[in-house]
Amino acid sequence: MSALAGWGDDYFWGAMVILRLFAVSLIIAVIIGLIGAAMKLSGNRLAQTIANAYTVIFRGTPELLVLLIVYFGAAVTLTAIVQSFDANVKFIDIPPFWAGAFAIALIVGAYMTETFRGAFLGVDSGHVEAARALGLSNFQTFVYVRIPQMWRLALPNFGNHMLSLMKDTALISVIGVEEIVFVAEMATTVTNKPFTMYIVVAFIYLCITTVITLAVMLLEKYANKHLVGGK
Amino acid sequence: MSEEKPIIVLENVCKYFGNFKALTDVNLTVQKGARIVVCGPSGSGKSTMIRCINRLEEHDSGRIIVAGNELTDAVKNIDAVRREVGMVFQSFNLFPHLKVVDNLTLALKLVRKVGKPEAREIATRYLERVHIPDQADKYPSQLSGGQQQRVAIARALCMNPEVMLFDEPTSALDPEMISEVLDVMTELAEEGMTMICVTHEMGFARSVADQIAFMDAGEIVEIAPPSEFFQNPRSERTKLFLSQILSH
Amino acid sequence: MIFEFGLIFGSIPKMLTGLGLTLQLLLLSSFIGLVLAVITLLMRISGRWFLVAPAVVYIYIFRGTPILVQIFVIYYGLPQFEFIREGVFWPFLREPFWCCILALSLNAGAYVSEILRGGVLGVDKGAQEAASALGISKTQSFIYITTPIAIRLSLPAYSNDIISMTKATALASTVTLLDMTGVARTIVAQTFAPYEIFISAAIIYMVIAWMVQKGFGMLERRMSRYIKATR
Ligand SMILES: Nc1ncnc2c1ncn2[C@@H]1O[C@H](COP(=O)(O)OP(=O)(O)O)[C@@H](O)[C@H]1O
Ligand SMILES: [Mg+2]
Repeated sequence: MSALAGWGDDYFWGAMVILRLFAVSLIIAVIIGLIGAAMKLSGNRLAQTIANAYTVIFRGTPELLVLLIVYFGAAVTLTAIVQSFDANVKFIDIPPFWAGAFAIALIVGAYMTETFRGAFLGVDSGHVEAARALGLSNFQTFVYVRIPQMWRLALPNFGNHMLSLMKDTALISVIGVEEIVFVAEMATTVTNKPFTMYIVVAFIYLCITTVITLAVMLLEKYANKHLVGGK
Repeated sequence: MSEEKPIIVLENVCKYFGNFKALTDVNLTVQKGARIVVCGPSGSGKSTMIRCINRLEEHDSGRIIVAGNELTDAVKNIDAVRREVGMVFQSFNLFPHLKVVDNLTLALKLVRKVGKPEAREIATRYLERVHIPDQADKYPSQLSGGQQQRVAIARALCMNPEVMLFDEPTSALDPEMISEVLDVMTELAEEGMTMICVTHEMGFARSVADQIAFMDAGEIVEIAPPSEFFQNPRSERTKLFLSQILSH
Repeated sequence: MIFEFGLIFGSIPKMLTGLGLTLQLLLLSSFIGLVLAVITLLMRISGRWFLVAPAVVYIYIFRGTPILVQIFVIYYGLPQFEFIREGVFWPFLREPFWCCILALSLNAGAYVSEILRGGVLGVDKGAQEAASALGISKTQSFIYITTPIAIRLSLPAYSNDIISMTKATALASTVTLLDMTGVARTIVAQTFAPYEIFISAAIIYMVIAWMVQKGFGMLERRMSRYIKATR
């Protein structure tokens, strides 16, 4: 373990990078998921078709390919656009962090779309009718009846999506973001202890996914507390 | 009456679920050919008692002896008892992935080691007995509730048991299907089958049972022949129960 | 920027040279993974702590870390140890192909065993009680009642897992293997047409995912005859 001495800082900052990436992608993915679910639930044919195509494409394509398409594709596109204004520009670099964040959000957003859609449809229509019969407005029904039940229904899947998202962050080492896999690579070239260095990476991921799992469990317990006791 | 050996004996049987005492000193003696109906409010321990008889639940103290085998941890005894005891459940519990005929033959083949053609022959015979010989090649989900429960009865009978246990066999059925199941049970009783039947069908109890046992809070409060049970219930709890159940 | 459709169709045949490797990775690791999953499941439900504990730890570790990191630990990490380099498995472990197979199989084993466990837990208790009451032994009941019903219940989740596995094989390209994604990456490095090439690859992956889904859908319908049956 003495081989690790001196690399602690690097791993720490690497871990910060993936946590930041996690947070950013999660926010974007939730937004995409809500929009996607709304499109699928809307009566609009075009919106439904677009949303369906989106989920089919991003659930059927390897995560790594999505990342490569977004990263290199964005670079090529932006370069082409800039060159049409100034022909002297050779190449535009895309910040890999943001390319990674978008790529991962696009992947996980496709799963979120299905989860949110399922949760919306899963709310017992009887409850909604009961609320309307009691004189609640559409909006009140949505806020007080639908949302609380939706989030309970969505939570287990949502937790799984967060775990996938966390694990997908490891991919961005491929496009050169300086996170923990990158640190392990660097440390290996210096110390020649690859196993030690990559096991640390695995351990860091395991810790983070454990925390996410526990957090989701707590939330589920909280969300289901009205179900405990009475059968 | 000559001292014939009873087929089932329960002696001071107690059963706990955690700290909750589900059975308290239950005593019951069942002679061969007896037809005992068990009734009582929900949660009074009726299911627990008959599930102890074929060891789907383990009792904590007291003795249970079935056809001369005392129920202990000994696997040999449990197997021996289950060979003698057939059971019919409230929710049918048919094997959903097997056709009706395969539901009947599975245990014959696995437990009794009966060959395939013979097993099929036995199955056909019992399906005729419960009046559904033409449903053999359907899946349980293709049958009505009443038909499913009759398949379940036939499945238990195939094993040629000495005793049949019924746990509310008609409670999950739509009203119009109850009688087709009760008819089959009545026929069985007339053929001399020993049976213990948990049911709230008081008409059936009156005409078929030779003893009615009333359970409450894990105890057998009262056990008597139907005439006495309905006319002169001794305990207040029985009277209360009868007034509730017969009032509608 | 000109999006060259010609390039897409032109590159698909080249991409197909990597298809063989992709399918080998998929089929071999799904098969080994399934065997591991069944063993793990049996350990998990054995009720004996010395079998349950290793199964739980195995599942926890492999579900809690990214596959990419697992591949790196095995491929780059294991040679750190002399006993590995001199051991009997070295001819395999020095090959990136077998390292990927190992990582993907271990991963599948962990996920699929949880899927199968879900199926086993989903089997109605009543059918098992009925079997006991008929004198059928625990083992027989597991083989003839629990297993067929559990397989049917696990099928949809298993089909999704095979699709995830298909996508995960793309990670083999990170350890120099020329699977479909690996081929695509080398072509992009030469032509620098990331959209066209990567999208072609993505299309092939989607076709595979679609076939897996259809195949399992058919299997599921076949096995559901007893559920869907009409009166
Ligand atoms: N597996 C079990 N675990 C805990 N409590 C149980 C279990 N089975 C039954 N009980 C309890 O034992 C009591 C008797 O149950 P049961 O025999 O099913 O009643 P009945 O069949 O008369 O309605 C009930 O209070 C029930 O809640
Ligand atoms: Mg009961």
